Amino acid sequence: MFIGQDITRVDALDKVLGTAAFAHDLKNNTMLFACVVRSSRPHAMIRKIDASAALALDGVVKVLSHKDIPGENLFGAIKKDQPFLAEGRVRYKGEAILVVVGVTEEIARKASGLVEIEYEDLEYISDPFLSMRSAILIHDGGNLLSHRKVIKGDAGKGFESSDVVVENTYSTTWIDHAYMETEAGIGYTDERGHIVVASSTQNIHYKMKEIARLLAIPPEQVRVVQATTGGGFGGKLDVTVEGYIALAVYHTKRPVVMRYTREESFLGHTKRHPLYIEYKTGAGKDGNLTAVEVNIIGDTGPYISYGETVCLRAAVHATGPYEVPNVLVNSRMFYTNNPVSGAMRGFGVPQLALAHESQLDEIAERIGMDPLDIRMKNALKRGSLTATSQVLHHSAGLLETLKGIEPFWRARRKQGPGSGFGLGCMYYGIGNTGISNPSSCYLTFTPEGRVEMHSGVCDIGQGSDTVLLQILCDALGMEEMGIDLVRGDTDTSLDAGSTSASRQTYISGMAVCNAAQKMREYLEGQGYYSGKPLKDICREAAEKGLPVFKGHFDPPTTAPDPETSQGAPYATYAFATHMTEVHVDEVTGVCKAVKVHAAHDVGRAINVSNVKGQIYGGVAMGVGLALMEEFIPGKTESFDNYYLPTSMDMPEVEAIVVEDREPTGPFGAKGVGEPALIPQAAAIVNAIKDATGVRMRQLPCDIERLKLALEKNKIK
Amino acid sequence: MKTISFVLNGKKTSIEVDDNETLLGALRERLGITSVKEGCGIGECGTCTVLVDDEPHYSCLTLASKANGRDIKTVEYLSSSGVLHPLQEAFIKSGAVQCGYCTPGMLLCAYSLLLKNADPDARDIKEAISGNLCRCTGYIQIEEAIKNAAEICKCDR
Ligand code: FES
Ligand code: FES
Repeated sequence: MFIGQDITRVDALDKVLGTAAFAHDLKNNTMLFACVVRSSRPHAMIRKIDASAALALDGVVKVLSHKDIPGENLFGAIKKDQPFLAEGRVRYKGEAILVVVGVTEEIARKASGLVEIEYEDLEYISDPFLSMRSAILIHDGGNLLSHRKVIKGDAGKGFESSDVVVENTYSTTWIDHAYMETEAGIGYTDERGHIVVASSTQNIHYKMKEIARLLAIPPEQVRVVQATTGGGFGGKLDVTVEGYIALAVYHTKRPVVMRYTREESFLGHTKRHPLYIEYKTGAGKDGNLTAVEVNIIGDTGPYISYGETVCLRAAVHATGPYEVPNVLVNSRMFYTNNPVSGAMRGFGVPQLALAHESQLDEIAERIGMDPLDIRMKNALKRGSLTATSQVLHHSAGLLETLKGIEPFWRARRKQGPGSGFGLGCMYYGIGNTGISNPSSCYLTFTPEGRVEMHSGVCDIGQGSDTVLLQILCDALGMEEMGIDLVRGDTDTSLDAGSTSASRQTYISGMAVCNAAQKMREYLEGQGYYSGKPLKDICREAAEKGLPVFKGHFDPPTTAPDPETSQGAPYATYAFATHMTEVHVDEVTGVCKAVKVHAAHDVGRAINVSNVKGQIYGGVAMGVGLALMEEFIPGKTESFDNYYLPTSMDMPEVEAIVVEDREPTGPFGAKGVGEPALIPQAAAIVNAIKDATGVRMRQLPCDIERLKLALEKNKIK
Repeated sequence: MKTISFVLNGKKTSIEVDDNETLLGALRERLGITSVKEGCGIGECGTCTVLVDDEPHYSCLTLASKANGRDIKTVEYLSSSGVLHPLQEAFIKSGAVQCGYCTPGMLLCAYSLLLKNADPDARDIKEAISGNLCRCTGYIQIEEAIKNAAEICKCDR
C-alpha cells in the first residue's frame, strides 16, 4: 500500500542537495540573453520606436518587434486576445513591446534601456466603474468582458419571507503570486530542427501550441519541457517567457536564455482579480438561509487571461457551501488599463469567501446564534442542492469538517483584550468549470523490467509526481516503487492539462488509474500476479515491441445554462472549515494570527504529509491575503513594498484531514491545493470582528487600515 | 578585476572578479554553484543565502571581493562527506520541501543556527529563518524539520 502513506517526495533529494535544475540553472555561457522592453504607460498609442542606440551597442544581436512574428501575434488560455508584442497600442503598464537579444544579460538589459519609445497617451481606465461608463473602449467590442448569472428560485420572494436581511459591500485588491522563482527559461533548436523550450511552467502542452501558433509551425515541431519549477499558484499558466524565447531562437538560430528580475516578474505576470462584491443575505429567525443576492464587479485588466473563468467560478461559488433556496448572482468583469488579472489559487473564490463568511457571521449575530451552529444548520451535505441545483450525491464532508473543528470552537477562551476567534468555510469545485478538461497519460515497460509512467503533469512543488506514482503503484498492486517516471516533456508525454483548479490528483490521478487498469489486465494475462517476474515478462515482450497502455479521464460535468448557470459544473467538490484565533493590538493596529485549526475534506489523502503541506502553505497565503498583501499598479516593484508572510507571521496550524471518499476519484481522492487558502482570510476577518467589534470589509486589513478602523470605532 | 581567494565548501578557491560583482553572481556564473538562488536580487528574500564564516549572508548584497580570505559555505557543504546531513534528511522526511527554491537558503540558515545553538526552541527556529521567504510551505514543516534534526544532531554528539 502506498496510498495514505507519507511516501517521501521523489523530487526532494535533488532539492536538498541543491542539484535540482530550475530553468535559470540550465543556462550556459554560449546562450544569448533575451529581455523585454515594456510599456511605461498604462494606455497609449505607440507613435515611434527608435532602437538604433540599442542596436548600435556592441553585443546586441537582435531587437525584435511584432513585425518579426511569423505567425499569429495573439495568445490566451481561454481566448486569443493578448499580443505577445504590442502593435501600435499598449493597454497596461508593463505590456511587452520589444525583445532585445544580446550576448550577455548585462548587454541585453543595457540595450533595452536605450530604446526610445514615443507615446501618445490615451485615457487611463483605472477601475471597472470608470470602465463601464467610459466612452473610451479598450477593445472594439466594448469594455464588458463577461457577465454571468446564477438564478435559482426567486430571490425577491426569498427576501420577503426572511426575518433578517443583511446587506454589505466587500472589496479585495490585486495579489501577486510571488513565487520565489521568477519566470525563466531556455530555448534552442535541436538536431531535428525543432524548437525546444524548457521553462518554469504549469502547463507544457498548452505552451507548445501557443509557440507553434506564434511561429506558424506545426506543434509537432515544438518541444516544451518543464524545468524544476519554483512555485506557480496560477501565475505560470499564461505564456510568460516561453513565446519570447521561441521567437529569439527562431531568429537568431542560437540558444537563448531569459529570466525575469523580481521587478519584471511583478510587472509581467497576471494578478489575482480585485473584486467588488455587493452581498445581500436573508435568513429566518431559526438561522435557515432563505435568499442570497450578489453583485460582483471585477477588474480583469486589458486582456482576458482567465477573466471569464474567474467571472463564472466566482458566481457559481458565491453562496458559499450552504444550501440556499433562492439565489440571484450577477457577476461582471470589465476591462481596465490595470495589470492583467488571471488565475491565482482559487480563481475568485477566496474573494467571495470573505463576503459570504462575513455575511453569515452577521446573520448569526443578529439572531443570536453561534457562528458554528449557523454553519452546521445550512451546510451542504449529501443530497443537498447547490446554488446551481446540482445534487451532491456523495463526498460532501463539510459537516465532518465542522465537527472536526467543533471541540476547539466550543472550548475557545479569549486571552484578554484584543483576542478573538473566527470561522471560515468553503467549498470548491475540482477541475475546470462546466467544460471538458481531460487528462491523458501512458504507461509502458523498460527493457530492464520496470514500469515506466509517462506523465505530462507539471509538478510545481505541490507534489503531484509523488502522488501519481503512489496511485499507480496501488492501482497495479505493486509491492515496491518499481516505477520510472518520465515527466514534463511534450515529446514523451500526452496532454494532462494544466496544473490548476486543484485538478491533478483527481483528474490525472484517474487517467493513471485508467491506464493502470489496462496494464494490470495485461500483466494478469502474463502471469505477473501469479509470481512471474516483471523482468521475464518484459524480456519476452521486448521482441515484439513493449506494449503501451494509454489512460484518459475527463470528469463528468454539464455546461452551465447560459442564462441561469444551473447545471453540474464540477464532478466533485472539496470542503473545508478553518477556525482562527487572532490577537489585535488595538493601539498599533497590528493583527497577529495566533492559531489555526484547518479541517479539509479531501476525499482521500493520498499523501498525508503533502496534504498538510498544502494546508499550511494555504494558511500562509491566506494570512497574506487578509493582513498584508497588496499589489499597487505603478508602485509595487519589489518585496520592499509587497509584504509576504515570514515565519514570524505564521500562526500555529493544526490540520484535520477528513476523508469522505469521492467514488469517481482515484481511490476516493479529490483535491486540496486551492481549498487550503480559500477560507483563511475570511476566518481572520471574522476573528478580528470578534476581537475588536470592528468589521473589516476591505482586504487587506493591513496595519494602517485596521488602525484607522479601530480609531473610527472608538469615536462612534 | 581582482583575484580573490577563499575557502569554498572546505576547498581553497581563487577566482578573478569584477569590483562591483556580487558573491551571488560569482558563485553562479564563475563557479557554477547554481544551488545559490536569486529570488529578488536586493536582499529581501533569502534564497541567495550563503554562510560567510558560518553566518548567513544574502549573497546578492555581498560583494564578491568581501569573500577574500573568508570561509564560504553553500548547501553543497552539508553533504560534502558523501552522506546527507541530518538537516537534509529531516527536510525530506518532514515534507519541508515543496518547490524547493527556498530550500538551500533555509538549510544554510538552519545549519548556522545549530552551530550556535544545539537545542533551539520554536522561537529560535522561527527567528533563524525569518529572513528567508517561502511561498509554498507556510514554514511549519521546515521548522519541524529543523527541530527534528537538532534532536538527531544532539544524539550524535
Ligand atoms: S536574492 Fe538575495 S535576498 Fe533575494
Ligand atoms: S518550498 Fe517553494 S518557496 Fe519554499
